[in-house]
Amino acid sequence: MNNSRTRIFGAVVLISLGSLAVSGCGADNNSASAGGAVNGQGKTLDVLVGANTNKAEQFKAWQTHIAEAFKKQTGADLKFETFANANDELSKIQTSVVAGQGPDVYAVGTTFTPTAYSTDAFVKFDSKMWDKVGGRDRFVPATLGISGPDAQNEVGVPFTSRPYVLAYNTELFKQAGLDKPASTWDGLLDQAKKLTTGSTYGFATGYADNYTPWKFAWAMANQSGNPLVDGKTARIDDPAVLKAYQTYFGWLTKDKVVNPAAVGWNDTQAAADFAAGQSAMMLMTTASSKVTFDASAVKGKYAYAVMPTVPPGQASAPSGGQPVSSIISGDNLVVAKYSENQDLAAAYIKLLTSEDEQINYNKLFGDLPTNATAAKKVQDADPSLSPIIDSASKAKTTPFTGAWGDIQLALTNVVVQARPDLGNGSVSEATLKAALAKAQKDAQASLDRASASK
Amino acid sequence: MSTTIKKDAALRRAPELGGQPPAKRRRTVSERNRPLWMLTPGALLIGLIIIVPLILGIYIAMLQLDQYTIRKWISAPFIGLNNFVEAFTSTDLVHAFGNSVGFSVIATVITVPIGIYAALATQNAYRGRSLVRSMFLIPYVLPSFVVGSFWRTMLQHDGIINKALTGLGLPAGQWLTGPASFWVLILVEVWAAWPFIYLMALSGLQSVDQEVHEAAAIDGALWWTKLRYVIFPYLRGPVALACLIATLHHMNNFSLAFLLFGVPAPFDVQVLPTLVYSMSFTSLRFGMGAAMALISLLLIAIPLYFYLKAVRLDTGTDAGGKK
Repeated sequence: MNNSRTRIFGAVVLISLGSLAVSGCGADNNSASAGGAVNGQGKTLDVLVGANTNKAEQFKAWQTHIAEAFKKQTGADLKFETFANANDELSKIQTSVVAGQGPDVYAVGTTFTPTAYSTDAFVKFDSKMWDKVGGRDRFVPATLGISGPDAQNEVGVPFTSRPYVLAYNTELFKQAGLDKPASTWDGLLDQAKKLTTGSTYGFATGYADNYTPWKFAWAMANQSGNPLVDGKTARIDDPAVLKAYQTYFGWLTKDKVVNPAAVGWNDTQAAADFAAGQSAMMLMTTASSKVTFDASAVKGKYAYAVMPTVPPGQASAPSGGQPVSSIISGDNLVVAKYSENQDLAAAYIKLLTSEDEQINYNKLFGDLPTNATAAKKVQDADPSLSPIIDSASKAKTTPFTGAWGDIQLALTNVVVQARPDLGNGSVSEATLKAALAKAQKDAQASLDRASASK
Repeated sequence: MSTTIKKDAALRRAPELGGQPPAKRRRTVSERNRPLWMLTPGALLIGLIIIVPLILGIYIAMLQLDQYTIRKWISAPFIGLNNFVEAFTSTDLVHAFGNSVGFSVIATVITVPIGIYAALATQNAYRGRSLVRSMFLIPYVLPSFVVGSFWRTMLQHDGIINKALTGLGLPAGQWLTGPASFWVLILVEVWAAWPFIYLMALSGLQSVDQEVHEAAAIDGALWWTKLRYVIFPYLRGPVALACLIATLHHMNNFSLAFLLFGVPAPFDVQVLPTLVYSMSFTSLRFGMGAAMALISLLLIAIPLYFYLKAVRLDTGTDAGGKK
């Protein structure tokens, strides 16, 4: 009984101290940087990368290959740490930042880069540092859009690019007498209606996904000229955002072009539905889905296309609107300030973003290169990728503020809380307006904290 | 007749329970001439694992500790009770508090009869009893992760449960969102947690002396009379303790709510642990998260108080289920 009492006490305390409790044990193995010769002989560089669970074997082989190449170039060993999801990574970053030790280089998602930047724990790249990683101009310019708040304050080096596109079933399109997806949301919806027959639906999308829903609101609002964050002000409680959510929910409730079950789907489930030929278009997906689709019933019967850039209710792009098709998406590499292996870290980034390695990575995992030469070669070699590369050029960065994580959460929460109504067949305007007002309040509070911290 | 049995049982119960191993152990520890200094390693560990973090937690709850200040967290601005005030005034804390209490109490209330019934059903020896007993423990020994993932899959909109319902001509439901989600959390928690009550009740039943059964039989007690006046008094102590511990577990259960509903949680099923989690690790407001966790600690302290009181009274000769 004493045991369970202790356990209960312990559990409570652990919750309250989540970040600290782990910090004690999270600090491991950066001791290898002590001693050793120049040129990295005898040193170990500790790097954190996202585990690719879809292609576990290739991922393992890739790690071995990179470690060998790194050893050859610098004489230093490479120690990989992996994280399974964003939460994992976040814990790792928190503990390392508090403890002042941990991985030397992190691969972070683009939308997480502003948060990482706001901790002030990562190295800002000056021209000298850029030179060490092979020069700033080796990258596709658009991929640098979320490396920092401006060109003088960049922390992230683009490593992979995963712009959002839509995938469509060419066979179903042909049957419906359609050529290719429309470039306006209204046009796309009309096509979806034509494609919805019997048990087949026009769109596949996951309303219960944790990462995708807000991207629709963001894209449509931007296309109407609302970037969601204007300096220090949140603009979520706004007609353009309302219209965006209404359109997004309307597909299911009003237009009935989405399988009603999608109310509980995440994107993997939506992709599976598309892969089974049950829906004609999979919205907001990336080149990584190629792996899934090529191993499915739609193999050879699908293509990618840029998502509409004209907002709902409009026939052409309104003045002041931004014709965006995707957020700047992918991974950036950041170097920890506490790292005692800055030069080795740069050498690692240089290797990963080199032309050959970028092409290799693309072949293995489908992510697009950020290295400009590699990107060109990949595009030339596979014309089917051109819509994805086109989308990359129409991508725009999400607002670069430490508050973005909260704003994203607030936008997602609108969908999460609307799901019961969505499942019942209608989300009323009043409910939606109240939800947007709450999201606005939360987003603004977070922006206020961000500006107060400066 | 029943009065006789009651008295008889009570008379036997006292020395029986007084002689139980746990009570005995506790009494010896409290004896004065024992080498208590030998507890020092344990005390140090408790200090290190509980006291120090607790004090740090209280301190952090008064800091404006977030993504902007975490790198130099020692020098994060001290803001006194502001986090607590904000937690109460502009977050879902009160709502989550209500949900947590409701969920824990209802889950406990439902699991008690199930657990006791299961214990009674496996009390008498019969062929295959050990198999049944082992099977009863399956939900309890499955990791939360497995339980949560399986139920989540089954409860999907187009999952097996909805398919079964529509197959029977019943309407399909939205189980993982909206008002139903609260009851789903209770259902899954009950499914996973009732064997704990069962185990505790079983241990109570096993302390019933064979003579008591014989005495009841000689007196000609019917099954209900025997259950009500002979067996239940034995169960009261262990089951009351089980209720308290189970309620605490329900209240602290983060993994199940997180796995079933994710973060941000649907409003109807926002409980304290998921709220603290999302405040700390999604919004990265560690100070605020610590403040909320401390408030949860106070909440948990209420049943904990009864628990500790019960444990303390469970010494001496006047043993049993008195709180």
